[in-house]
Amino acid sequence: MSALSPPTVATAGAETTNRIDLVHACRWYEAGARTVKAVDDLNLHIDAAAFVVVLGPSGSGKTTLLNLMGALDAPTAGTVVLAGHDLARATRAERTRIRRVTVSFIFQSFNLFPALSALENVQFGADVAGRAHARDIARQMLEQVGLADRADHFAHELSGGEQQRVAIARALATGNPILLADEPTGELDFHTGVQILGLLHAQCDAGKTVVVVTHNREISRISDRVIELSSGHLVSDGPPAGGRAEVEQLRW
Amino acid sequence: MREAGLFLRWSWRDLRARWIQVAALALVIALGTGTYASLLSTSAWRRLSNDASFALVHVHAVEAALAPGSTTAQGSLARVISSLPDAAAVTGRRERLVVPTQVEAGNALVPGVIVGSGPPTGEAVDGVFLSAGAPLDSRGSAAGGLPTAVLDLGFARQHGLPQSGTLRVAGGQQVRYVGLGQSPEYFIATAGAAGAPFVSQATYAPLFTTLRSAQRLAGAPGRVNDAVLTLRPGTSAATVAAELRAALRALSPPVAATVTTRAELPAYHLLYADIGSDEELWRVIALLVLAGAAFAALNLTTRIVEAQRREIGIAMALGARPALCALRPLLFAAEVALIGVVLGVGVGEIVDLPLAHVFANLLPLPLWRTPFQPGVFAGAAAIGFVLPFAAATWPVLRAVSREPVEAIRVGHLAARRSGLAPMLRALHLPGPGYREIPLRNALRTPRRSLLTLAGVAAALATLVTIVGLLDTFQATLARATGELLREAPGRVSVTLRGDVPRDSSIVRTVRALPAVGRVAAGLAFTGELSSPRGTIAVTVEALGTKAPWRPALVAGSRQGGLVLSEKAAGDLGLVVGSHVVLQHPRAIGGGMETARTTLKVAGIEPSPLRALAFMDLGRAAALTNLVGRTNQLTVVPAPGRSDLDVQRALLEVPGVASAQSVRATLDAVSASLEQFRSILNVTSGVALLLVLLIAFNTAAIGTDERARENATMLAFGLPTRSVLAMSVVESLVVGGIGTGIGLLLGDGLLTWLTDTTVASVLPEIGVSAALSGASVLTVLLLGTGAVTLAPTFTLRRLRHLDVPSTLRVVE
Repeated sequence: MSALSPPTVATAGAETTNRIDLVHACRWYEAGARTVKAVDDLNLHIDAAAFVVVLGPSGSGKTTLLNLMGALDAPTAGTVVLAGHDLARATRAERTRIRRVTVSFIFQSFNLFPALSALENVQFGADVAGRAHARDIARQMLEQVGLADRADHFAHELSGGEQQRVAIARALATGNPILLADEPTGELDFHTGVQILGLLHAQCDAGKTVVVVTHNREISRISDRVIELSSGHLVSDGPPAGGRAEVEQLRW
Repeated sequence: MREAGLFLRWSWRDLRARWIQVAALALVIALGTGTYASLLSTSAWRRLSNDASFALVHVHAVEAALAPGSTTAQGSLARVISSLPDAAAVTGRRERLVVPTQVEAGNALVPGVIVGSGPPTGEAVDGVFLSAGAPLDSRGSAAGGLPTAVLDLGFARQHGLPQSGTLRVAGGQQVRYVGLGQSPEYFIATAGAAGAPFVSQATYAPLFTTLRSAQRLAGAPGRVNDAVLTLRPGTSAATVAAELRAALRALSPPVAATVTTRAELPAYHLLYADIGSDEELWRVIALLVLAGAAFAALNLTTRIVEAQRREIGIAMALGARPALCALRPLLFAAEVALIGVVLGVGVGEIVDLPLAHVFANLLPLPLWRTPFQPGVFAGAAAIGFVLPFAAATWPVLRAVSREPVEAIRVGHLAARRSGLAPMLRALHLPGPGYREIPLRNALRTPRRSLLTLAGVAAALATLVTIVGLLDTFQATLARATGELLREAPGRVSVTLRGDVPRDSSIVRTVRALPAVGRVAAGLAFTGELSSPRGTIAVTVEALGTKAPWRPALVAGSRQGGLVLSEKAAGDLGLVVGSHVVLQHPRAIGGGMETARTTLKVAGIEPSPLRALAFMDLGRAAALTNLVGRTNQLTVVPAPGRSDLDVQRALLEVPGVASAQSVRATLDAVSASLEQFRSILNVTSGVALLLVLLIAFNTAAIGTDERARENATMLAFGLPTRSVLAMSVVESLVVGGIGTGIGLLLGDGLLTWLTDTTVASVLPEIGVSAALSGASVLTVLLLGTGAVTLAPTFTLRRLRHLDVPSTLRVVE
């Protein structure tokens, strides 16, 4: 199926748990007397276990797209189907429930809870998703991101890279199949950023769908697919130009 | 200067952006300053109203009142006054016959007094201000031959009596009252009137008539027992009083009289001297309300200004001088404070309405002046402005003293500190880990939590103190009721016109009345108790061993001396076995003289009423030279009859001056506390509003401060109700501790206030601090409930939280 032709809307089912579909999806905002078309008539679908990079300059609509994909926002027109759930018809409360079982977020500024330790922050993810043995899962996830020895540290006692790794562990602890990352390396130095991208890539290899929003074109080199936006419109959608690179090959 | 204009406009925008919090904060300041100004304005009102009212009716400068039950020939007191060395300074004088009586008017049957005034010699003295109806004519009798009188306005108002009508007085005599009015001695019913330790306007009925009518009603033609006089300005009333006292002592037979100056007039004393002590109580209450508001303002202003920390940093990074950067938040604080104090004038005016109503009802002076008090309001406004403004300077100074790079730093380097939250690292609550967030958050920002806690505690301490004062008065009344109604609760104290043999016809007549069950003859007299600690006025009741009611004892015995209340003993520093000097009347050669006798304190009784003292009948009779005689009967109604039946029956008996049921005494005690209760009710409403406003504002600011964490939780799919529940739990923790501290603080303040200020405001009543379980529970529920539930008011904001935008805000 071509990325530029409208996909068929999927229905809820086991085979659709990692999948995201947008059909003529629009998100417009009223800004005084004018209408800002942050996302305009977008058609695309994202398959399971893909590493997708959404690329574009500031104001291109990439974060709005991420919000639509993550059920944080509802489309003004068109359809967004997340893991079989039609978000356009979902109420706010239903979208909250859908988020809880389908997606996990990683933010540019980490958004860790300052009152909780690293372990407790990660446990939050497992708890929210209603997973049993949340604390054990949290330990495993921290170990997976290499921070087992920092479990009892609080956010302000961790470096930026460590905080983002905790944030990734928190997202993984939910067990949800889709990871949405908004500029996950935006506040990090190159080496730490590469580490974080490696972690995210590993999740894709483990079967999760990973969508990374960034303005850093270099990052798109390690993706399976690059969706490029400009002024809310799809400019291109396909594999990275020049072929897929390994994380270790990145330079910026 | 252009920069200042920019910052001014910017601060206005801040006001607009946070208008709900600004309005709530301004209202908090307004409640504090308005209530403070209102309560303190009452003192000025009372002084102005007293001045105008006493001047209106030409209150006397000196009064000579003969001992109860004794009279002298009309004209004799006038002659004594004319013979004084300072007689030329007397500008007006009047002889009077003032006799206790019983008044039945409408459904009321109460003790009262007939004040018969002769025509003044010289200028007017102790006139009657007529509020309704017709004045008395000089004949003092109506067309039908009935004596005419003017009835006291306060009494008539309390019982809803019309402006004219017919009433009955002791002896069953009818009196036509032609109008309603007020005379300075009876502007307020005072303790000791009619021999009763407590009276109120509802339970005491003064009647103003001509001297001739009073003599006719009292069966004492040609007799007087009182003289009042006014003096030329600049004349010493004390000197003239001393001269009059000496002249009366020199008469033969001697005349026992009490000579007092205007300052000693109970009504005058109550209305003037008590302004000072009352003001002290109101000042403390007002300061409590203001302190509660100030803490709230400190808390809220600090947090609002702290939120601008980053913008201050940006301005400094752009090269703005720290002083200029401080301008915007300081202007913001000043504007909020200004709005608050301006609103405070409105709040003050609103609070003034019920306060003016309370005073006009409880102290019904002929003239009431309640003008706006600009000076008092200016003082309150200054405090109301300075406190929140000063509160703002602290966080502003902190912000401008930081390096700009610190203030504008973003990302993990700006990671918010965990405060004391790591202390709870080892504590794990059952269930999901995020349940620990509320408690951790409370500890993570200890300064902020402490400020919130202090604001809540201060407001609740104010509420507890005020509610506690109401409880204290209620408990005092309950103690008095418990003691006085312990036995023979329907008993009636009957005051006779004078002392009579215990087997006299009056006593036999009373015993024979069908409504009367038991009768115990005793003696009662007023006097003064003195010890090195001080002097207090008392009514001494001498009771026989078969009296239907005798005081319970907490120490000592009833025999061998005086039995004093705990309050009197405490004030005079006496214990059982101590000696005290009693100044009392003593019969001598057809008249009465004043004597002083040292007596032992035989016992202490638990009543909170200081003015009641007791002794055994035999000793009292010996002391007063009234062996075998009685001037007071204690009457218990016959089975199936009430105290009112007894009072009605006694009204027909000649020689009975007045009859007061013991319940009326309690009503009067209650009435004496009413002023405080009414005003405290008004202020408790303000304190309650303050608690609710603080709770709401704290919750609203808390929601702003937690916006990012809330957004993160919502992004992870936590339901809104769970996020709200966390705010509720955090508020519960802080509000619960604040409420607990407020309760403890309020209880401490209540005890202090009761022991110091209230003791001086109500010297006649032994008031002990009491905070009822119901009040504690109410305050606990109210404080914790208000603070805990306040976040639910932010549900709408939480529901409409723009999660994506909030998450992208870089700190």
